[in-house]
Amino acid sequence: MKDGCSDGNSAHNYRAELPVITILFTFCLFFCAVLPAQETPKTKAPPTEANTTEVAAKPGNTGSVEVNGDEVDVTSRLEEILKQNKKCLMCHSKEKSKLLEDGSELSLQVHKQEYLDSAHGEVKCISCHRDIGNRKHPSKSTNITINNQRDYSVEMNDSCRKCHMKKFKEYKGSVHAALIAQGSTKAPLCTDCHSAHAVETMEAYKPENGFPCKKCHENIFEAYSESVHGQARINGNTIRDSHIQAPICADCHQAHEVTALAIGDVLRTTCIACHENVMLLHNQWLPNAGTHLDIVSCAVCHAPFAKRKFDLHLYDNVAKAPVAEKEGEVSIQQQLQAIAAEGAIGDPLEIWKARGGLDGLGETVDISLRSRMEVMSGVAAHQIADKSFAVRTCDSCHEPGWREKQNVTVSMTQPDGRRLSIDADREVLGSVEAVNSISDFYKLGGNKSRFLDILLLLSLAAGIAIPVGHFTLGKMIKEYMQRGDN
Amino acid sequence: MSSIPSEEKQPDVWIKARDKQLYINPLPVRIWHWLNALGFVALILTGTQIRYTEMFNVMTFETAIKTHNWVAFAVIANYFVWLGFYLFSDKITVYHPELNMRKFFDKAFKQIMYYSYGIFRGEKSPHKVLPHDKFNPMQSITYQIVMLLVVPVQFFTGLLMWDIKRFEAPIAMLGGLGVINTVHVLIYIFFVSFTLVHAYMGALGNTPVTHFREMFTGYEEEH
Repeated sequence: MKDGCSDGNSAHNYRAELPVITILFTFCLFFCAVLPAQETPKTKAPPTEANTTEVAAKPGNTGSVEVNGDEVDVTSRLEEILKQNKKCLMCHSKEKSKLLEDGSELSLQVHKQEYLDSAHGEVKCISCHRDIGNRKHPSKSTNITINNQRDYSVEMNDSCRKCHMKKFKEYKGSVHAALIAQGSTKAPLCTDCHSAHAVETMEAYKPENGFPCKKCHENIFEAYSESVHGQARINGNTIRDSHIQAPICADCHQAHEVTALAIGDVLRTTCIACHENVMLLHNQWLPNAGTHLDIVSCAVCHAPFAKRKFDLHLYDNVAKAPVAEKEGEVSIQQQLQAIAAEGAIGDPLEIWKARGGLDGLGETVDISLRSRMEVMSGVAAHQIADKSFAVRTCDSCHEPGWREKQNVTVSMTQPDGRRLSIDADREVLGSVEAVNSISDFYKLGGNKSRFLDILLLLSLAAGIAIPVGHFTLGKMIKEYMQRGDN
Repeated sequence: MSSIPSEEKQPDVWIKARDKQLYINPLPVRIWHWLNALGFVALILTGTQIRYTEMFNVMTFETAIKTHNWVAFAVIANYFVWLGFYLFSDKITVYHPELNMRKFFDKAFKQIMYYSYGIFRGEKSPHKVLPHDKFNPMQSITYQIVMLLVVPVQFFTGLLMWDIKRFEAPIAMLGGLGVINTVHVLIYIFFVSFTLVHAYMGALGNTPVTHFREMFTGYEEEH
């Protein structure tokens, strides 16, 4: 049996060390009780990342550190932590594992040196493994069952919150956390990016190696690393002779509150945060520059080889934000598919409403469909080229025959923040019934309706037929009259 | 309208006669008319290029847009030449020589009959062109609707679409860009047939070029 935690030797060692632990504990209590009395009392501060013991008690730090409102000497504190960890590592630095319910094995081994060198090297093991105190170490008799490694990681994820409260809160608002809440087995937990025991410091997150995002988003990272941003970052270039470095993943997507940038105006706002004179530059040559920047995603022109599409999404005119699916709403995908299927013959918004799409919107009823021109994929959105390759001619989008080539999707922001897009019939943009729904979208020559095309043909026909008919009729009458005279 | 002189009592200034010709179209009106005509043709052609990029490739989209915008502003400025002339001169009476609806409809019916039948029999137009009464009822009502309603709406919708961001609020108030665009296109469609029919009717004078010549010289030739 490989369940090292519950073997006899571990239990024996644990009992043997009890007297030592008891003495140490008493010693600590003494210091805690006596030392504060000798010094000026301090106001107790709430635990934050800055004042937690684990962060402050680093090698090389001197002076004192606050522990639960009491000041403790850093050196002695560090020694105490290392001493405690040493006890854990005595067993856990060896190859051990636990058999899980799904038949896999959970390694219980912590590589001692990796841990001591990590950012958490001076953090007590029991700071994270709070269920494992000196008196309650799991044993064979406690028979702790763990379904699988993922379940254990999800359960342990909450332990990061104690010290990293702010970052953890940000993470909870991320698309990653939302996916985990939905039961995703692939979305990253804290340890998936930061590792469980070999916790990396900030310096380890280099754009050159894509760590840690590349692990899941390899295609996107490759697109990024070949882009103007990736190349500039890798080559250490700075932007506009300033000291701003080209962005890495976290600069646009955030490190912990990871967002899907394709939603609403988030992407444009993110780009403008660095390229602040973007409006001025576009105004110099682009008619209706403001509108173009509103409805055309930056990547559409700046990733010039990417495929493009029109994306229709529901917009709440009262809240001034895209309508997002709320938790608990069901069948949104079915509704979107229905819109996509029936869009060619009607008004997608009306179809959506008819299918109960307004049920989840509460008091809000002022909804319209808005469209943005987007690139077809997340990979394409990262293929930003040097500005010398950027699209700078109207014909690139308004070219002959573009209508036949364009892709149209209808999309909805899901509770996890991602956008679900369903392919729609391109004719929906020209539907007369949809004129009111898609009132905020207009592309020159773009959303033509067949109805107006037919009217134009009739008008042209009338403009020719009336003169020709009148002229012919006149000629016939004259001939008739001449024949009558003869 | 007692102030309107009758046919028999025309002031001398209106009869800048060369023989029996009447000076019907003063210079500002002629300048406005031909600039307007050129502008409208240019706007229809560039508008068609913009809307039907996939069918025609006479010019680049960018050229079409820029030409359309510049010509449109010229046509708008030109419109105010026309409006100013009629507002600040007594020539406005040419649109309403008499405010008698019954008489108006009676004359309109006669004019329709003339264009439908009489013109082919060589009859004379029931409307006698005079400096203060130069439009027949059909022309009068059509031009008033076009110049006071259709054209301003077309200018307004075009202006809104020229700078969508700047005019975001009025666009939203009027139902959004889709609505504005549709109205603009509907009026464009109307002007396609209007321009063709207008040009044809201009050829219905004594000779096919009579009315065109009149519009260049300003003098109405006796029919």
